[in-house]
Amino acid sequence: MVIKYFGVDRFFTFLRTIRDAGGIRASLYKLYRFDNLRPGTLVGTDKFGNKYFENPTYFYGRNRWVEYAPQYGMEYDGSQVPAEWFGWLHYKTDYLPMNDPTRPKYKWMAEHTENLSGTPGQYMPYSTTRPKIEAWVPSKCK
Amino acid sequence: MSLGLNKLYSIAQTGSKYIKPGLKTVGRRCASSAPKDGFIYVNKEEPSMDFGDITDRAAQTLFLTELVRGFGVTLAHIFKEPATINYPFEKGPLSPRFRGEHALRRYPSGEERCIACKLCEAICPAQAITIEAEERADGSRRTTRYDIDMTKCIYCGFCQEACPVDAIVEGPNFEFSTETHEELLYNKEKLLNNGDKWESEIAANIHADHLYR
Repeated sequence: MVIKYFGVDRFFTFLRTIRDAGGIRASLYKLYRFDNLRPGTLVGTDKFGNKYFENPTYFYGRNRWVEYAPQYGMEYDGSQVPAEWFGWLHYKTDYLPMNDPTRPKYKWMAEHTENLSGTPGQYMPYSTTRPKIEAWVPSKCK
Repeated sequence: MSLGLNKLYSIAQTGSKYIKPGLKTVGRRCASSAPKDGFIYVNKEEPSMDFGDITDRAAQTLFLTELVRGFGVTLAHIFKEPATINYPFEKGPLSPRFRGEHALRRYPSGEERCIACKLCEAICPAQAITIEAEERADGSRRTTRYDIDMTKCIYCGFCQEACPVDAIVEGPNFEFSTETHEELLYNKEKLLNNGDKWESEIAANIHADHLYR
């Protein structure tokens, strides 16, 4: 109680945060990558390796966050959060995706991709029908 | 202010008191009035109670402490929790009714829902949707072209309201910005692909709202 009154517990929280991040060097790298180093509970990991954290002591809107998987490096992007975790991260639901009964799993559901604009995999529009007017090819008539 | 001006005036007249302390300035400093009847007032001089002088003194006190108090506020804000969120790691709250990127949904069997009734095309206030329909090999009516110009779309959500089979929906995704204009001219494949990618979230949103519509 006395420790909390004088704010000494924050020092211990700080030490625990650094230990959870994996040492001083890893903490500094995390701080560099995410602009933030905060204590939190790991609630889940998606299939790409992004880790999802929660700490309800922060205010609503900052109490859930994602740490993008290490393979993305500094190329992390908001669109790398897959659809399953999207609702939880956006405070739409308190269910974690594995516990949510409203989330169907069909075999035709596609793998999530990040926003591919500006990469070779980007979408380019094309027509899905045969054109109504076709050019005349003279050799066809003979 | 007037005190300061007076002092300046006296220095100009008699020179600085530090360099050449004239009798006149000493007298001014010791007593407001010239010695008369042979005595000099030695007690602490009553400060001038002119309105202007009071204001000047108050202003000097205020401005001095104001600097310190201002720095105090700055220092306090350094240690304050920021009110902003750290996107893309933290994201803001979103409604299940949020109208983002469009998607064409499928039935649980994998069959596409759209039956090419063209109600969405008709209701679209921006005329962003283009549909062409044809009979499929099995005799069902399906679209052959379903294009949405996402740069024309105003995201009003009328298309998903108009749809009788819940085929076209505005999904939850808002992170679909592109580098070029043409990438936003979505065709049927892209919309179906969006539906396949986001079905988990779209279905959860529809379930969250099913009591209200």
